[in-house]
Amino acid sequence: MPEFPSAHAPRRALRLGVCGPVGTGKSSLIALLCRELSGRLEVGVVTNDIYTDEDARFLRASGVLEVDRIRAVETGACPHTAIRDDITANTLAIEELEEDYRHRLDLVLIESGGDNLTATFSPALVDVQVFVLDVAGGGDVARKGGPGIERADLLVVNKTDLGPHVGVEVPRMLADARLARGERPVIGLSRTDRDSIDQLLTWLEGRRSSYLAGDLVPSDPGPMASHSHGHDHTHEDEPVGAHHH
Amino acid sequence: MHRDLVLMLLADARLPVAGHTQSGTLEPAVRDGLGADGVPAYARSRLRTVTTVEAAAAVVARHLVLGRGAADLEDLEEAWEARSPSAPLREASRRQGRALLRLARRTWPGAVALDALPPAPPRALVLGAVAASLELDAAGLARLVGYDDVQTVCAASLKLLPLDPTVVTGWVAALLPDVEALTASVSHLTDVDDLPAPGSPLIEAWAQAHAVTSRRLFHA
Repeated sequence: MPEFPSAHAPRRALRLGVCGPVGTGKSSLIALLCRELSGRLEVGVVTNDIYTDEDARFLRASGVLEVDRIRAVETGACPHTAIRDDITANTLAIEELEEDYRHRLDLVLIESGGDNLTATFSPALVDVQVFVLDVAGGGDVARKGGPGIERADLLVVNKTDLGPHVGVEVPRMLADARLARGERPVIGLSRTDRDSIDQLLTWLEGRRSSYLAGDLVPSDPGPMASHSHGHDHTHEDEPVGAHHH
Repeated sequence: MHRDLVLMLLADARLPVAGHTQSGTLEPAVRDGLGADGVPAYARSRLRTVTTVEAAAAVVARHLVLGRGAADLEDLEEAWEARSPSAPLREASRRQGRALLRLARRTWPGAVALDALPPAPPRALVLGAVAASLELDAAGLARLVGYDDVQTVCAASLKLLPLDPTVVTGWVAALLPDVEALTASVSHLTDVDDLPAPGSPLIEAWAQAHAVTSRRLFHA
């Protein structure tokens, strides 16, 4: 029989994707969420390491979650493919996690293989996605934009405490990010800034409430750069091929 | 549906069954010193050993599914396990089988033959059931298994070793007669007891080593 989602299927966990360039703190962000949430939510993690199981080992070693709840997916040097056009390896890993925990998971975090600025998750794989930058990557990265920076459900500018040490004006970087994203949220995050952590948790709780209410529609940041004329509309309601510039 | 088109669909690397995660055990072979020069011989060795087992198991599974021999499928699974001594390779095959079964159920919801499969079937059994459902013949199925294995190894070599892709495609083309020889050697099989049992201890040792390394590009 077909396996399409149906009323009979157990409600699955909310799937949150975390993507962004190498070294921006995706694993740390996931460890942070596990630490903050695992007391009250059933959490699982799937990592997509490019050439090692470093991220999975980092998370297991951090002791924030039972080791068995953290699964690593190998991507055959195709980190984009595994989160974008052939999501099968990730889908199976998530499904196995959910089966192993008897469909009681509330939240599955999926970490992309840190690659570059253009990789975003397929909405067929995750319900909601966070794109992570860090101030150490340079203050101009947010301004340069890209699909994840501009259109991921949340942009996190991580390690804001490092701003003074790397010569980046954090308020300016955040302002650039907000300019690139229009209405979409931006959080400047530091593990030493409790208020920023609470902002992140509040955002996630909002998305989870929306998911549980059945009105969360996964959206695609897209593989392409935004229109050069810079306005903020999307073309989702138009038939394919109907819009011409 | 024309059989040739169905075969093309199933053999296409763009089929979303996580084919990009597989190297046909080439990654640990390269780690152990296999160079680009050795890749065609490696692919040929696989056709004569592990891939012969896979193709034969798929062909017999197809036959059993067509004859409604669901009980015999369990015997076939045991016979396949006995000929696949590497636990990581069995696990990888079941993972791939799950991916293919998931795709097949969604793509061909009327394919009731898939229901005959045991739980967590290895890929060869899923391929056999898919072939039975889609009216592929035994030879076409054997060719599919052989060709896919050659392409898996050769595509992975492009990731692992610096190679001109036209050279690698030349390897694939040169191996096609070996795929045909494999096809001729297994397509007549119908009985679990006739499943060939060639050994490939080095491939199994590589697969074991790969499963415990902390640095892997490919799942297997």
